[in-house]
Amino acid sequence: MLVLGIETSCDETAAALVADGHILSNVVASQMDLHASFGGVVPEVAARKHVEVIGYVINEALGSAGKALEDVEAIAVTSRYGLIGCLVVGVAAAKALAYTLKRPLVGIHHIEGHIFANILSNPHIPMPHVCLTVSGGHTMLVYVKDLCQYEVLGNTLDDAAGEAFDKVAKFLGLGFPGGPVIDRLAAQGDRTAYNFPRPLRRSGTVDFSFSGLKTAVVNRFKGSDISTLPVSDIAASFQEAVVEHLVSKTVQAASRADVSAIGVTGGVAMNSRLREVFAERCRQEGHQLFFTRTDLCGDNAAMVAAAGAARLAHGESADLYLSAVPNAPLESAA
Amino acid sequence: MMILSIDTAGRSDAIGLIDGRRVLADFVGDVTHNSLQGIIMNIDAVLSNAGLTLADVDGLGVGIGPGSWTGVRVGITVGKMMAYATGKPLCGVSSLDALASQAGDASTLICSVVDAGRGNIYAGFYRRRGGVTVKQGQYTAGPVEGLVARIREPVLFVGDAAQVHRQTISALLGDLARFMKAGEERQGSATALLALSRLERGESDDALSLVPLYLKEPLVQALAARKR
Ligand SMILES: [Zn+2]
Repeated sequence: MLVLGIETSCDETAAALVADGHILSNVVASQMDLHASFGGVVPEVAARKHVEVIGYVINEALGSAGKALEDVEAIAVTSRYGLIGCLVVGVAAAKALAYTLKRPLVGIHHIEGHIFANILSNPHIPMPHVCLTVSGGHTMLVYVKDLCQYEVLGNTLDDAAGEAFDKVAKFLGLGFPGGPVIDRLAAQGDRTAYNFPRPLRRSGTVDFSFSGLKTAVVNRFKGSDISTLPVSDIAASFQEAVVEHLVSKTVQAASRADVSAIGVTGGVAMNSRLREVFAERCRQEGHQLFFTRTDLCGDNAAMVAAAGAARLAHGESADLYLSAVPNAPLESAA
Repeated sequence: MMILSIDTAGRSDAIGLIDGRRVLADFVGDVTHNSLQGIIMNIDAVLSNAGLTLADVDGLGVGIGPGSWTGVRVGITVGKMMAYATGKPLCGVSSLDALASQAGDASTLICSVVDAGRGNIYAGFYRRRGGVTVKQGQYTAGPVEGLVARIREPVLFVGDAAQVHRQTISALLGDLARFMKAGEERQGSATALLALSRLERGESDDALSLVPLYLKEPLVQALAARKR
């Protein structure tokens, strides 16, 4: 089945065509440069950009796949979890297309999208598995029992991991987004130079917390002249604390859920040290590790189309009253 | 020519359907509803009540604002995607112009008003000249008091936002201010008629590039611009 996916939950305007697990096109109009001057995503700026480019992005997704709009058999859109003003644009577009073309419509939870980015990347990932979705907007551990069957195991109690990267990068004067630049600098730094706290180490839960870690970095160097600081060492030490926190909680969750397969997805899954440490730890623990391919780590619509196809296969679809819900829980298919 | 129009910039969504100059439907949505949820089924109801489908429509008119930022994005995105998917021509229409066009043959200054939140309004000024409503100067955005204080002559206010701010306006202008009766708004058909006029002049907008008329920058950009 040829599914058109649409994703506008944050700062990427995306459309993709996916047919039976094959990505025919995957177009992402990134707004990164637009938001860089503000040091973070500005919701109203993002929403305005979505309206401006959504038509072009959908048109490009069809064109580069060599398909016409009439070939589309169903439309999937991120309708839950994200910035409300941004979600609204994608949902309005999807509803108008579904109505005009008389095609089934399905609303997808953004986190479910990321889980499907991992399934698209690793079609043979065992079920059940534990999936870590980690980005600038979310950090969540999900027990994926089967396709569209979820149980949320852990969540961030404050900031998302990517947000912590952004804030520390901002403090160090490294610009936005923080993840890639910290990853790059950390490669030349000493990750044992500073011993930043490992959050929630004795909590017994598999939740996450990053704001204390960010504050620890800021407090350690507050008042110093940034230009005199060993920025690479700070970046490496901070990154090491984030990575250890993410890996240890994920491995702990997998052991507790008694599954041997771990998936890692979302924008922060591109981090090279995270990939290294996960590989090491999973080898030690005898877990199978499945990373999302890098071009599907960030927000995209191929993952939304794939999730939509799975939901439709479960007999699920949305009616044309579909709305956007910013804080919806991740729910299993019926 | 059959025109379907959508305007979601104001407090309640408006959908209009015209056949030439003949008004077939003038739908006004519930003010408590969010535009996104009901928009498609409301359009469907307007069409099916007229015994029509989207295929019977010859052109689309869409209110581009100014108005509720999220609201206008809903209407404009729906209009764009319907035009894109059907290949039918699309015409963006200023929501203030569509309001003003409802003032009929008013002989005074006309002021159309859309609420901008927190005591602010978007406004446009117009005069009737030779049977048409002609815009006077630029649209403005700002506090009600500031905009109204500049008026020194009889003026007819149009738009439900004028009703919202009626006390403030009357206190400042006294007898100079007149108001269009509440419940007389025909924003849907007014938008459709203005779209029809544009189409008849050979004008239309590109379905992929049409964007809302905001009149105001997001706060953060305004701050950044001031810093520069
Ligand atoms: Zn995401």
